[in-house]
Amino acid sequence: MIHGIRTFLYPACSGNDMDFYLQQLPQQLVNGLTLGGVYALIAIGYTMVYGILSMLNFAHGEIYMIGGFVGWWVLHLLIGESGPVLHVSLVISLMLIIAMGMTGLLGIAVERFAYRPLRKAPRMNLLLSALGVSIFLQNLVLHHQGAKARFFLVSSLIPESLRLFQVGEVVFSFMRILVIVVAFLLMTGLTFMIKRTKVGKAMRATAQDIEAASFMGIDVDRMIVFVFLIGSALGGAAGTLVGLLFTQVDYYVGFQAGLKGFTAAVLGGIGNIYGAMFGGILLGLLESIATTFFPATYKDVVAFVVLILVLIFRPWGLMGEKVPEKV
Amino acid sequence: MKKFICIGLLIAGLAFSFPELGYTQKVIRVGNAGAFTGDAAAPCMEIFNSAQVAIDEWNAKGGIKGMKIEHLMGDDAMDPAQAVSVAHKFCADSSILGVIGPPMSHTAQATLKIYNGCDLVNITTAASKPDLTEQGFKNFFRVNARNDVHGWNCALFITRNLKAKRIAILNEKVAYCESIAGETIKGLKKLGLTDKDIMQDTIVGGAKDFSPVLTKVKAFNPDVLFFVATTAPDQAIGVRQARDLGIKAVFFGTEGARDKKDFIGAAEGAAEGAYVYHFAPDVYAIPEASGYTKKFESKYGSLSGFGPPAYEAMNILLTAIDRAEKAGKLNRKEVLKNVAETKNFKGILGFPVTFDPKGDLEGGATYFFQVMGKEFKYITVMTGK
Repeated sequence: MIHGIRTFLYPACSGNDMDFYLQQLPQQLVNGLTLGGVYALIAIGYTMVYGILSMLNFAHGEIYMIGGFVGWWVLHLLIGESGPVLHVSLVISLMLIIAMGMTGLLGIAVERFAYRPLRKAPRMNLLLSALGVSIFLQNLVLHHQGAKARFFLVSSLIPESLRLFQVGEVVFSFMRILVIVVAFLLMTGLTFMIKRTKVGKAMRATAQDIEAASFMGIDVDRMIVFVFLIGSALGGAAGTLVGLLFTQVDYYVGFQAGLKGFTAAVLGGIGNIYGAMFGGILLGLLESIATTFFPATYKDVVAFVVLILVLIFRPWGLMGEKVPEKV
Repeated sequence: MKKFICIGLLIAGLAFSFPELGYTQKVIRVGNAGAFTGDAAAPCMEIFNSAQVAIDEWNAKGGIKGMKIEHLMGDDAMDPAQAVSVAHKFCADSSILGVIGPPMSHTAQATLKIYNGCDLVNITTAASKPDLTEQGFKNFFRVNARNDVHGWNCALFITRNLKAKRIAILNEKVAYCESIAGETIKGLKKLGLTDKDIMQDTIVGGAKDFSPVLTKVKAFNPDVLFFVATTAPDQAIGVRQARDLGIKAVFFGTEGARDKKDFIGAAEGAAEGAYVYHFAPDVYAIPEASGYTKKFESKYGSLSGFGPPAYEAMNILLTAIDRAEKAGKLNRKEVLKNVAETKNFKGILGFPVTFDPKGDLEGGATYFFQVMGKEFKYITVMTGK
C-alpha cells in the first residue's frame, strides 16, 4: 500500500525518496513565497472592492495584465540599443510608478462607466458587468497588441553578478527578492494608510456600513473611487513585478492570475485586507509545496481542496470576521 | 408547358456539353488547400509560394508535354467547414489532378473522405496527427513526419547523440505534447533505460512560472531535460528558469522552440547550447536546396520551415502527373497510383522520400538543431534507424 502511494507520488524515485523531497523544500519555499507575494497583491484589489461594494470585480485580473503591459512598454522605451539609458533602480521605479498610475486610472474609469450606473441594481447585474469589462479589456489588448507574448529583457537590466546568488543549495534571484520586498513595502504602506490616516478611517467606515458612513458626512462616492484607485494600482504593480520576475506578459495572463487572486482573497476571508495578504502567501506556498510531492498538474487540485476545506469549516475564511446577518 | 421542356432540354444540353468541352485538356491544374487568411496565413502562404516555385520551374521547362500547369488556391481560413467546401470545389473541377495540403490536421481530417470520394490525391506538408493515415484512405500522403515518429527519433537522439543516462521529461498537458512525451519514454525504455532513469512531470502552458516543477527536476539531477511545451515563449521561460535554478542538464526543446526571436532572443543567452527537434530541415544546410532557396527568397522574402516540404510535395505530385501523361493515362486514378509508388525521390529535404503503404514518410524524419549564438545550427537528421 505504502509502496503504491509512493509510486503514485513519484514513480522515478521510490528508493531514497525522502531525501529527494526534503532537498527541494528550501527552494520551494522561496518559489512559493515570491508567487505568494504576487497573489497577495492581486488579492488585495479583490478584497478591497468586495469590502466596500460586496461585489467581485472580475475585471481585476485584466487590470493586472494591463499593468504588465504598461511595465513592459516603459521598460522597452528605457532600454536603448546598448542597455538601459537610466540607472536600473530608476528604470524599475518608473516601470512600477507608471504602471500603477495607469492601472489606477483605468480602475477609476471602470468604476465610473461599468459599476457606478449599476450601484443600486441587484448584485448579479454588477457581477455580469464585471465579467463584461473583463472580456472587453482582454479583447481590447488582444486587438491592439496581438496574441504574441512580450518579453522583459531583464538580463540586460541587472548585471550578471547581481542577478543570481546562492545560499547553500537555494538559489535566490535579484528579481525574487525585489518582488518580495516591493510586495511587502506596498502592503505595509497600505496597512499604515488604512489604520493611521483619515482617509483610511473613512474607508473603514464606508466598508462597515455605507449608509451610516454617508450620514456621517463621508463622501461615499469618493471613497469608492479611492478604493478602485488603490486596488487597481496594486494589481498593476503586481503585473509589472510578475513581468520582471517571469519575463513575459501576454493578453491572457489576467485570467489565471485573477482566479488565483480571487481564491487567495476567499481563503484569507474576503473583505479582509490582512486576510488577502495571508491568503495570497499561503496559496503560493501551497502550490509550490504541492508540486514537490505530487505531479505538477495536481498543484491546483491541492490548492482548491484546501480552499474547500477552509470554506467548510470556516466559511468566512481564515482571517475573515463572522458578520451576523443584518435583519 | 412546352416552354419549360425547352428550357429543361437547354439546361441539360449545356450540362452535358461542358465536360465535353473541358475534356481536351489544355492546362493541368493542381489545387493547394490551406489557411491562406487568418492567424496561420504566414506559414500557409509560405507553403503556397514554395509550391509555386516548383510550378514555375516546371512551366519554364515547357510544363508537362506543352501543357501549362496552373496552381489554384483554396482558402479554408483554418475552418473545417470551409475546408470541406474547398474540397468539394476541387473535386468538381475535373482538370485538377492533385492537391497539396491541407496543412493542418483538423482541416485534413474534415476533408479526407471528400477527396477520397473523387480519387484526388492529397499530399500534406505539415499535418502530423498520426490518425490521418490510420483510417484506410489511400489518397492521403505526407512528406512531413507524423507526431509519433518524432518520439522515437528523439529517444534515439537523446541516447546516441546526447549520451544521456538520466532523463527528465516535462510535458504540457495537451494531446500533441503528451503524445511526444509518451512515445519518447516508450522509445527510451526500448533503448534500455528503466523507470528509475526517467522522470516525467507536467507543466501548464502559458503559466509563466515553472520554477516549482523545475526545482523537482533539479533534485532528480538529470543529464538531459526534455521540455515538451508547444510554444516558443514557454520554452524560453523553461530554459531561463532552469538555468536560473542552476540546472546543468542539457536543455532539449520541441519544434515549437525553433524560433529565433521568441526562444533564443527571449531567453537572453540562457538558451545557448540548447537542442531542439523540428519536422522541417534547415534547407540552407542541404546543397540540393540552394536553387529553391534563392528563387524563393528573391521573390517572396525570408523562409521558415514550412516552405521546403511544400516544394518537395509539389515536385512529387508533378512527377507523378508527368508519368501518368507519359503512360497516356492523364487521370486522377493514375496520378494517385504514381504518387503511391514514389520511391527514393531525391529532392531537397536531405533524405530520399519513400511513402509507406499507409501514405506516411518511411521512417519519418526528425531534424535536430543546436542553439549557437543567435542561430540554430543543424546537427543531424534521424529517420527511425
